[in-house]
Amino acid sequence: MASHGVPRQATTEPRTEQSRLKEQKQIQEYTELVDLIERKIAERQYTREVLELTSKLLIKNPEYYTIWNVRRRLLIHGLFSKSSDLSSPSMELPSSSQIATTTTSPADSSSSTTNTSTASKETQSNLASPNPGKNGTTLDLIKADLDFVFPLMVKFPKCYWIWNYRLWLLEEGNKRLEPEVARELWNGELSLVGKMLTRDSRNFHGWGYRRKVISELESPKLHGKSMVESEFEYTTRMVKANLSNFSAWHYRSKLIPRLLSERSASDVQRRLFLDNEFELITNAIYTDAYPYAQSVWFYYQFLMTTLVDSIGHLTITPNFTDEDRIQYVRKQLVNLGDMLDGAEDCKWIYNALLEYTLALCRMENRPPLDAERQDCTSWLAELRKLDPLRAGRWDDFEKTLRWVEVDYRLASDVTGVEL
Amino acid sequence: MSLVSGPGRAGLSTASLPTELRLSVAAHVKYIQALDNRKDELEYHLTTHLRLNGVYWGLTALHLLGHPDALDRSQVIDFVLQCQGENGGFGAAPGHDPHLLSTVSAVQVLVMCEGLGELEARGKNGGGALGVGRYLAGLQDRKTGTFRGDEWGEEDTRFLYAAMNALSLLGLLHLIDVEKAVAYIVSCANFDGGYGVSPGAESHAGQIFACLAALSIAGRLEVVDQGKLGRWLSERQVERGGLNGRPEKLEDVCYSWWVASSLKMIGKLHWIQGEKLTKFILECQDTEQGGFADRPGDMVDVFHTVFGLAGLSLLGYPGLEEVDAVYCMPRKVIEQVLGPREEIPIE
Ligand SMILES: [Zn+2]
Repeated sequence: MASHGVPRQATTEPRTEQSRLKEQKQIQEYTELVDLIERKIAERQYTREVLELTSKLLIKNPEYYTIWNVRRRLLIHGLFSKSSDLSSPSMELPSSSQIATTTTSPADSSSSTTNTSTASKETQSNLASPNPGKNGTTLDLIKADLDFVFPLMVKFPKCYWIWNYRLWLLEEGNKRLEPEVARELWNGELSLVGKMLTRDSRNFHGWGYRRKVISELESPKLHGKSMVESEFEYTTRMVKANLSNFSAWHYRSKLIPRLLSERSASDVQRRLFLDNEFELITNAIYTDAYPYAQSVWFYYQFLMTTLVDSIGHLTITPNFTDEDRIQYVRKQLVNLGDMLDGAEDCKWIYNALLEYTLALCRMENRPPLDAERQDCTSWLAELRKLDPLRAGRWDDFEKTLRWVEVDYRLASDVTGVEL
Repeated sequence: MSLVSGPGRAGLSTASLPTELRLSVAAHVKYIQALDNRKDELEYHLTTHLRLNGVYWGLTALHLLGHPDALDRSQVIDFVLQCQGENGGFGAAPGHDPHLLSTVSAVQVLVMCEGLGELEARGKNGGGALGVGRYLAGLQDRKTGTFRGDEWGEEDTRFLYAAMNALSLLGLLHLIDVEKAVAYIVSCANFDGGYGVSPGAESHAGQIFACLAALSIAGRLEVVDQGKLGRWLSERQVERGGLNGRPEKLEDVCYSWWVASSLKMIGKLHWIQGEKLTKFILECQDTEQGGFADRPGDMVDVFHTVFGLAGLSLLGYPGLEEVDAVYCMPRKVIEQVLGPREEIPIE
């Protein structure tokens, strides 16, 4: 697809005749393979042999989404229904709507018996093929396919189609296998995605996949129970390994409401939880955050929104009084002031000081005091100096500061604080 | 249209470039025109699955460069119509399965070529715009409001935008439940003001563009926390001038579009440094052989070419056609179809 991070070639000199011929041969092999698969599918040869052909093609080009779809159809309309474990719990045929949108003939949906009878013949003939798969059960087919996909995922971790196909396989497992068996497969996925995220801790495909795997493992249909505690611990490990892993911080922010509710946390425990999170992020800021690392600052922003934003109030400490919240914001303003010591070049601190000073005024329903206004003006001057790229934002901020003197409630838009 | 990267490469480093950076219009036009003449390269064949998207990227780039007629109109329309499946959706190339993403590209290309008449005459699934509209509407999950990419069920806020983009251009938005779609977008919002691929997912500039553009088409931008989002988006600009897609990732020319158009839609494009971004984008072009790369020194391709040019257009680079921030198409074309576009107020 679009080339990302592909360095320029050492030379753009014309190719040699030899390399040109080599490329022509590769093109010919590739297009012949595509044609062969198209022909077999047009003949409705839903066999292992064709499955192997699609494997060969997908290894060459995993972005070829139509071929992943061909593979799905091979399994649904062919191999799954032909597999030898006929006692499998839900050997369902594709629904009529699926048939309508695929190129399959209506005969395929007529009844499972016709399918099976034609199938047994073909399955036997397939045993002669070079790689007949294990013993042909649905489980083995799915497992073999998961094994086939894995190295492709490692090689092409940003290819949407591979992740989707893998999920589709597992969902077919949910439909066709006993819950315990399907669950085992999803368990395997949890360790797999753990490995993927160790290789690239910011891959958003990986994080999305992880959320999906967890929701399956938690689901009643697979006899699951909540994994929110272990997932929360996972984010702790991930952020401690790399404080700049915003993906992990983000996931953590999303887990917290459920975590506290499942703990049936009391008001005291919730307050303590908030204190611990502030301590964690403050330590992270001291270790890592200045002057440029922004991930920790966005998590800091998240914690502050639970105090200063009406929609954020419910997240951690829903029963805080206005007084409690004001007291916490004041405490953080002191904390931020301390951070400046030795980090006078950290724009994030000035930005936070500005933002939450104005938030405090709003929470106390008053215009800024003279001293606060002077502070804001000098912090803004620092921001202009340290962060000229965003001069337009600071211009707007300055306008807001002037408006604040007229009507402090207008401050919300520029600071990013909700009214 | 080939997605093959190269042969050109972007400028090597700021130091080795002339101080006065100029857009090499002629080279870019030639680069795009030549994309389909590269059948002797393996990569041409390995990128068939993006051919129709590639036509959209190339044609949009040509429009922005002021050369809308640089590709043969009837050849383009014939190719697009060959990609349509019996169910009304378009695949990436003839014989490829229909997918929402190639379908929106087909609609965008037909609109730019003024080819909707040909669609009426030759389209499948009952014909014309309605055949396409029914396919797209059928991909909406009526319970959640979001869209699948195709019959296999992957869901992504990009698909929601793509469907609304195409349906609005066809005048068929009423075929879907717009309110549910808006509610779904709202459920994808994060504390930082951004949006992810689905509820719970991390904010990502590409998804933010998709969500804002969809909300804009629905006329519902007021549900966005514009202050917070503007702040997050403006922090995408890095020292070198380019933009990244998430905190602490590398800058990339395609984000010049996803981030800058998002800022534009909420009236905060001035929250980043336009001149530095312009300079970064220009550094990513191959001034001799044409095309743009993700970063200086990398291989060029048509994807980064269109988004580089669209970014420059958004920033008001002289001589480029004005781009529409919501549709990523020439504003002139959008106004022909939808009527005058609202100016986004800059506070
Ligand atoms: Zn890119």
